[in-house]
Amino acid sequence: MKAFAEKKVLLSNVGAIDPERIEDYLDRGGYEGLRAALKRSPAEVVGEIKESRLRGRGGAGFPTGLKWELVLKSRAKTRYVVCNADEGEPGTFKDRVLMEGDPHRLIEGMTICGYAVGAKRGFIYVRGEYALSIRRLERAISQARQRGLLGRKILGSDFSFDLEVRAGAGAYVCGEETALLESLEGKRGWPRIRPPFPVDYGFRGKPTVVNNVETLANVPEIMCRGAAWYRTLGTGDSPGTKLYPLSGALNRPRLVEAEMGVPLRTLIYDFGGGLPGGRELKGVLVGGAAGAFLAPEELDVPMDFKSLWEIGAGLGSGAVLVFDETACVIDVLWSVLSFFAHEACGQCTPCRVGTVILLSLLEKVQNGSGDPAVLEKMLKVTHLMKVASLCPLGQSVRLPVETALEKFRREFESHLKEGPCPQCKATTEVHA
Amino acid sequence: MGKLVKLRIDGREVEVPEGTTILAAAAAAGIEIPHLCHHPELSPAGICRLCLVEVDGRLLTACYHRAAEGMEVHTDTDRLRRLRRLNLELILSDHPLDCLVCERNGTCELQRYAYEFGLEGNRFRGPDYDRQELPAREDNPFIRYEPEKCILCGRCVRACEEVQGRGVLDFASRGFSTRISTGLDRALTEVNCELCGQCLAVCPTGALTERARRFRGREWELRRVDTVCPFCGCGCRITLHIKDDRIVRVSGGYRGFRLCVKGRFGLSFVHREDRLRTPLVREGSGFREASWEEALDLVAERLLTIKGRYGPDAIAGLSSAKCTNEENYLFQKLMRAAIGTNNVDHCARLCHAPTVAGLVAAFGSGAMTNSIDEIVDADCILVTGSNTTEAHPVIAQEILRAVRRGATLIVVDPRLIELAEHARFHLRQRPGTDVAWINGFCHVILKEGLWDRDFVRERCENFEEFAEVVERYTPENVEGITGIPADALVEAARAFGKAERGMIFYSMGLTQHTTGTDNVLAIANLAMLTGNVGRRSTGVNPLRGQNNVQGACDLAALPNVLPGYQKLADPEVRGKFERAWGVKVPERPGLTVVEMFQAALEGKVRAMVIMGENPMVSDPDISHVAEALERLEFLVVIDIFPNETTRFADVILPAASFAEKDGTFTNTERRVRRVRRAVPPPGVAKPDWEIICELATRLGYPMSYSGPAEIMDEIASLAPIYGGISYGRLESGGLQWPCTDPDHPGTPFLHEGRFVRGKGRFHPVEYRDPAELPDPEYPLTLTTGRVRWHFHSRTMTGRVAGLQELVPEAYVEVNPRDAARLGIGDGDRVRVSSRRGSITVTAVVTARVPEGTVFIPFHFGEAAANALTNPTLDPRSKIPEFKVCAVRIEPVGK
Amino acid sequence: MREGRILLARRVNRQEIVRKFPRREDQLLPLLHALQRANPQNYLTPDDLRAAAEHLRLPLAAVYDAVTFYSMFSLFPRGRHIIRVCRSPTCHLLGAIPLIEALERELGIRIGETTPDGFFTLEAVSCLGLCDRAPALMIDGESFGPLAPKDVRELLTQYREVKR
Repeated sequence: MKAFAEKKVLLSNVGAIDPERIEDYLDRGGYEGLRAALKRSPAEVVGEIKESRLRGRGGAGFPTGLKWELVLKSRAKTRYVVCNADEGEPGTFKDRVLMEGDPHRLIEGMTICGYAVGAKRGFIYVRGEYALSIRRLERAISQARQRGLLGRKILGSDFSFDLEVRAGAGAYVCGEETALLESLEGKRGWPRIRPPFPVDYGFRGKPTVVNNVETLANVPEIMCRGAAWYRTLGTGDSPGTKLYPLSGALNRPRLVEAEMGVPLRTLIYDFGGGLPGGRELKGVLVGGAAGAFLAPEELDVPMDFKSLWEIGAGLGSGAVLVFDETACVIDVLWSVLSFFAHEACGQCTPCRVGTVILLSLLEKVQNGSGDPAVLEKMLKVTHLMKVASLCPLGQSVRLPVETALEKFRREFESHLKEGPCPQCKATTEVHA
Repeated sequence: MGKLVKLRIDGREVEVPEGTTILAAAAAAGIEIPHLCHHPELSPAGICRLCLVEVDGRLLTACYHRAAEGMEVHTDTDRLRRLRRLNLELILSDHPLDCLVCERNGTCELQRYAYEFGLEGNRFRGPDYDRQELPAREDNPFIRYEPEKCILCGRCVRACEEVQGRGVLDFASRGFSTRISTGLDRALTEVNCELCGQCLAVCPTGALTERARRFRGREWELRRVDTVCPFCGCGCRITLHIKDDRIVRVSGGYRGFRLCVKGRFGLSFVHREDRLRTPLVREGSGFREASWEEALDLVAERLLTIKGRYGPDAIAGLSSAKCTNEENYLFQKLMRAAIGTNNVDHCARLCHAPTVAGLVAAFGSGAMTNSIDEIVDADCILVTGSNTTEAHPVIAQEILRAVRRGATLIVVDPRLIELAEHARFHLRQRPGTDVAWINGFCHVILKEGLWDRDFVRERCENFEEFAEVVERYTPENVEGITGIPADALVEAARAFGKAERGMIFYSMGLTQHTTGTDNVLAIANLAMLTGNVGRRSTGVNPLRGQNNVQGACDLAALPNVLPGYQKLADPEVRGKFERAWGVKVPERPGLTVVEMFQAALEGKVRAMVIMGENPMVSDPDISHVAEALERLEFLVVIDIFPNETTRFADVILPAASFAEKDGTFTNTERRVRRVRRAVPPPGVAKPDWEIICELATRLGYPMSYSGPAEIMDEIASLAPIYGGISYGRLESGGLQWPCTDPDHPGTPFLHEGRFVRGKGRFHPVEYRDPAELPDPEYPLTLTTGRVRWHFHSRTMTGRVAGLQELVPEAYVEVNPRDAARLGIGDGDRVRVSSRRGSITVTAVVTARVPEGTVFIPFHFGEAAANALTNPTLDPRSKIPEFKVCAVRIEPVGK
Repeated sequence: MREGRILLARRVNRQEIVRKFPRREDQLLPLLHALQRANPQNYLTPDDLRAAAEHLRLPLAAVYDAVTFYSMFSLFPRGRHIIRVCRSPTCHLLGAIPLIEALERELGIRIGETTPDGFFTLEAVSCLGLCDRAPALMIDGESFGPLAPKDVRELLTQYREVKR
């Protein structure tokens, strides 16, 4: 079995440079990827990304090169690049660390993307709470402009491109790409029905690449070192490194970078330093609130798109939330569901009503007042939400609920029989 | 037409145009897919998720996704039924189940699906997620909102935005707390809502309902009668819902649901207590009730006496653009055949006489050339002298729909009217300078080679003379006259010149001038120059004001023509009518409205018959009208309410309203539609046509018809443009004249291939100043117009509590700069004076009017704008100059 | 009198802010952020909404829609400093509830309320992206965590001192 160590590619500068000085970034080979890209044709740049088999890091894992190609080949003249930096997934802080610690990497990646797809303008939509990220990005953009790395005729080429940071205003759903575009247009962040996808109908109806921060941060590296090098990292299906935000019951909760396919166990026990006080691990929520609960016997799963999909989970944001024997799964699920009830956008019926009903049903479990049929009702609702919700937010609520019920069913049943555990009691009392 | 795509829906092969949604394709195949948020007249939202269908194993949103070639669609599988059932259970989990007392019981779409899916009980109902107590809101006169019943389908939001262009309603908050709201949750009356009620017309549940219908009848208890709205010339089809002979609510409208505030909420006047219920005869300074026998005998005797003493031309009649075609026909027949004079006219004189004069000269027909349905396909729309949103709301909706589909809108109007907010170009001319800017448009279009050479060469005449005149109207010269910046004029003219399908709309802002006919001729020139006549979605489209002003003109309630615009001067035409009517038809043209009052003052006219008109509000220089009415030896007024004019009558005869009689109206697009009796008239009131028959008979000219259908048959036999119209044919919908024989399908647009007069004729017209310009004594220009809440002299709308509440009295709009100079604040009482009179009104300080211009709505008898207006006439059409006169304003001491 | 002058100053200020933004619908969120930032009480007044609607040529309802949709905008006066405490699953797991209780106790207010001196407003947030420092909170743009209930008093006292 392959031994995994941390591998710093995207994080190579974080902590090592002053993110407010472009010189630091340049000294470490910054913007070389852009120079390399500008020497090639847009189609060649897109080809390189395609060849690297880079997959989107926002959660869906869509091939980035293919996305770019669709926009490059579009007939519309005006196109946009939008960076999805509306990082709101619970347990996830990877984009923040990148933006705060190495903002130029993102700017360089976006500029390369703009060149590759023929866009003249790009937007970085950062969640409003990330004040420091916004400040650092704005500073970095103005430095890049001063150096001719953004703006008219970049690096003496015929390519002009500029970037603008836009702050979100507190809505998780805007992390969904079409909701993000609506929000960028000045409207409430209600997701659009897909298809059409943003590559056809994006910002103001124009073809638009929407990529996650981490995805774009990979781009300069691929341009510098080539697709072949990139493919030596990670797995055949999911090349490259991945940022894994580790949180919860860990000795060293933090952001780590490792090659795709690193086993969950390695992340928890090696990189995360194991559980404090020698406590036993009870379970892991992988991929964020919209992710899956995994049981202790699943810790050897390789953390890549395909392997997680095969066990009925998903890589999502790569977030790893660990909880130990003292935690109550129902209580964790309660906080997941109250998160969704608070963040549902209200547009489609299944999710608007479903999230609230799920929470109320779970509260019946928590306080022991429900009959066993409650659990079946929950599954009915999650099924409807999965197939009938308008956007991935509603569709994904099923994953934590179903995996929790499947893997920790006895805990649910004992709550139903014996009434609330101390955690649930504390939670329900506060929120009564 | 687009390509067709073939697909299978539930095993049925369907072929639909490319771009059709799956839901619409299924509907075309007779398959209904359940849906709540979708409405066929609104953009798809796809948010209720009931319409999901299976397509090749995938679930697609049927209201949103398009049918594609080869698709295999399943709309009703077990899986889909289960999903829909569960989805409905979720919707109902927090919906009040008070169907017993809900106004939408029986028509609620949610209730229907709940029943169809057999939703007994609800596994998810619970107090935990009941919406907080959300009280019903009745913060406006007409619309009741019960938020608890709202299922957040968003139809109302889309209707407000897409149909009405308002955006008064929107979603607010998010998640389970999402609700429909106005800006800052203000009352509808505080957020510029037009109260058109489009929102409640599309609401699938009882969340939005008519306040007035509450507990007045459940849907299945209501009798429905299809008829035509009695207000403006849009002539919308409406359905009256009736219980116990009272109108409970109104539905229908353009494209099935679109009405305006008056049509939807303004019909309660029908049931007002102060309707005229019995004939009244003057006694001293008041009136006493009389029998029909007595009253009609008296009228006949007085008219015969006056006719005997002074001749038939001493009698004049005003017919009514509010009455039916049949009644107008009979009225002019009464005047011409029974009395023997051509002294018959009606208020069209005061609105579109220049249109008739101008367009007949240029094209050969004075009517709106094209149809309302065609607006949406125009690619450039020029609106001038029409505050369409307020005066013809449904046509404005169509203009907005065209704009949404990419049409360029050009508004030329001194005021910042609402349509201007949606326009690419808003040019603000000085009132009364229309010939100049229209010639300027032609100048630019000619100079830039944007004119339609083939059209002009093949279909028009007199082009050179016209071209010579417009040569002088350079943008710079035009700017000097009109105040419209030269470059803006050039750009707007260019946009119109380049249009493939340019439509022109105008109304009284163009006609009510001493240069009214010239204005119309200039507009006709512009349309011909650009080849925008005789095709779909083009044309010169005068918007007619009254519900049946078109019909009143068609049927010759005019002093100089016989029904169907047949020339009085033509002996052959007269011969035809003489044979049919069995009497000699007087040859000499009669007097027009304003001339009648002049003649009355001069003692030439001694008696008048006025049917359904209120000249004491609607005519210029009212004090002059009052004097004239005072001087008459005898005045009989037929009306539904006592009004400013009935005060002068010797006999008042009570008439049936539109809801109480059968007949037809002809709307602005020449469409003849059936009006149907829905409720009985109050007291002993009678339809006007019956009154006319009885009066004519007493005058020694027996008239007897079995009903309006027979009158229409007589019209058809005499007026070729109505030749093919009969009640039998009208049962299945309206017909647009010319409709010359029983097989003729009617004519959506005129002048196809050939102008009615043969060739279209260019008329060179030169700019002339308005009759009265501001001077040091009267330094401001007054212009008049309508507001959407009222109709005409307010005889009807002034009696609708809600409408009266919204705009209870007259006001004057003053530009902030003028206001500052004159020391006038918003809400101050001010005196507005002209050379003819003065009125006291409240000032509204607003930039809607440009500096130097003030605006007063003309609806209000108590502070009648027409006490100020100038009766100087356009020499050709005899229309007075309502739109321009010089006034001064001064604050009145508190 | 003084109040009148403040109101007038706010109006002038508002127009200055509004004028800086292009008249495009997509400027709505940036404009609302700017207006809210300019208000010492951290909220949007009805006049702010009207000014934004007028400037961007949007219906007032559309502006109200956005303001009520996004949780960072407030229609009610708030404190000069906003404490956003995270209640994400991670923070919940590691003690967000006791932390919130400690904050409420220390400030004498509940979630959503403002201290009587107008200094702090306490809000709960779905997730702050500070999971490596859970349980965490932010005061304005500054992050703090992990925090135990016992750390609260010192944190607030220090913050008050620094910002006073």
